Amino acid sequence: MTVLRRLRRAGGWFAATWLVALVGLAVTAPWLPFVRAADEKVRVGGKLQSRYRLGPGRHALFGVDNSGFDIFARCIHYARNSLLVGVSATVIGLLVGGALGVAAGYFRGWVDRIVSVVIDCILSIPALVLAIVLVSRLDDIRQELPGLGWVTRRWQVVAALSLLAVAPLARIVRAQTLALREREFVLAARSLGATSRRVIATEILPNLVPTMVTVASTGLGLLIAAEGTLAFLGVGLGESWGYLIEANRRRLDKAWWATVFPCLMLFVTVMAFNLLGDRLSRRFDVREVIT
Amino acid sequence: MRYALQRIGQLLVVFVVVTFAVLVAMRLGAGGHRELARRMLGGNVTDQQVDEAVRRYHLDSNYLVQYLYWLKGFVTFDLGYSSANSMSVAKLLAPRFWTTALLGIYAIAVGLLLAVPAAVIQAHRRDSWIDRLGNVASFIGFGVPAIVLGIFLQLAFSLHWHLFPAIGDSIYPWQQFGAHVRNFLLPTLTLAIPQAAIYTRLLRADMVATLQRDFVVLASAKGMPTRRILWRHALRNSLLSIVTSVGTSLGGLLGGAVVVETLFDLDGIGSQMVISVLSRDLFTVQACVAFVVFIVVVVNLVVDLSYSLIDPRVRMARALA
Repeated sequence: MTVLRRLRRAGGWFAATWLVALVGLAVTAPWLPFVRAADEKVRVGGKLQSRYRLGPGRHALFGVDNSGFDIFARCIHYARNSLLVGVSATVIGLLVGGALGVAAGYFRGWVDRIVSVVIDCILSIPALVLAIVLVSRLDDIRQELPGLGWVTRRWQVVAALSLLAVAPLARIVRAQTLALREREFVLAARSLGATSRRVIATEILPNLVPTMVTVASTGLGLLIAAEGTLAFLGVGLGESWGYLIEANRRRLDKAWWATVFPCLMLFVTVMAFNLLGDRLSRRFDVREVIT
Repeated sequence: MRYALQRIGQLLVVFVVVTFAVLVAMRLGAGGHRELARRMLGGNVTDQQVDEAVRRYHLDSNYLVQYLYWLKGFVTFDLGYSSANSMSVAKLLAPRFWTTALLGIYAIAVGLLLAVPAAVIQAHRRDSWIDRLGNVASFIGFGVPAIVLGIFLQLAFSLHWHLFPAIGDSIYPWQQFGAHVRNFLLPTLTLAIPQAAIYTRLLRADMVATLQRDFVVLASAKGMPTRRILWRHALRNSLLSIVTSVGTSLGGLLGGAVVVETLFDLDGIGSQMVISVLSRDLFTVQACVAFVVFIVVVVNLVVDLSYSLIDPRVRMARALA
């Protein structure tokens, strides 16, 4: 048992270290001396190293790609997009999903019925299919409607991914709220004359926080994976790990590094969030996890 | 029976709401119905063709009327016209349907083949090293993104060991069986491993609970061989969790199919949907989404209804309710 516990703790520490390091590198990348700019080509002795000439090594940590760009530098710079998109979508998901879930679970009745139907509908479309269609449609709608010039591809991806985050969060929060509202302490608060708003704010919400944080952590991993997948399919951001994978995967035989390192970045980051979610769910004893 | 009708009603509502929302989303934002018709037909079209499309798809009426006509078309397999491929959508998607269907069926089958023995052994030897190994494996299998898994499998199997073609053409089993297996093996594995992880988790938890029940203790006290207890009695009592997990994870499976078909160059519904989205082929995208939702809804209905076939207790409870 102790071995397992030690292993699990090690996993938690590894996840935390990886995420802190990644965020640190991604934020400070423009000022770090050992990270090239994302669009700076690698030259050794004044000679351009294009066409995958340089493998992982001293001059370029993760090798170069077809045009001579530094894969390591790109991985670090593009981490920004993945993290930013993932975190924004999760925050929106928590706010909207939490509000919908609490409203449905606490007030029941027609609110619950409408919210439940909407959640059922969203969940009946495979998440990735929904995201693909949404991002591409937002592309067109942005061009057709005036006044939406400020909406960039990044915010479209955030919008699509937050819709994916809202549905499962709302469902879990609703189920929890349904259980919580029958508990004695809620009854006590209500019999003392507390208003609905007060009961929700002081009795229900604090009890929802552990579940929401846990689900959001695992969900963040899934959303980052989804962001990479969208980019891989050509509907997401161009500056993304997924795009690097797509751009280089046909040359897997010639230059494995250009595909494998972005894959590893995506994999380890997603696993780190999953490990974090796993730790949190044990800590808070949360059983329900998104499947 | 009453329960069945209720569930069918609920799922019908979901299907109608989703397909209606998709239709509105696809057709929203085009200025006027003639412009919409032009966009749906794609390329250079004459005014006459535009008029005909408007009349045929009732684009000049409101969305509800358009939807009802679309629904009528969906039921009769008249799914519209694919502008990018210059053929009817039904004709375009029919062969692609088989690729995706086979891929999905293989993935579920292989997933179950991996998951059931793993879960039974893990539950039997709970907290042993093999149980922990299984837990770690299903944790990784659950979390790994499909693109990463697919690339790693390509790297290991087709480049390193030269076993399978990295890029597969869809060949059906009734054409060349050997080539079919070679082409579908890696895509199937890529889809099956995450599925297996989900099945294993749920089945293991259920089996652990079942093995603590009185009838298991009685059976082993009677001297029944462990193997028989595990595979006959305990597994059969935990079947519900597998059936449930197949139903709930279907969405993820179909989403994964989009990635896998693109990654391994299979011509399926998923890869066609991505291509159509990128080329703004409105009819095809709409048909693909409606189709995928239809499958999810139908499978979930079958799963729900099969509970009462599998478990007499559910049948009784529902009959009494």
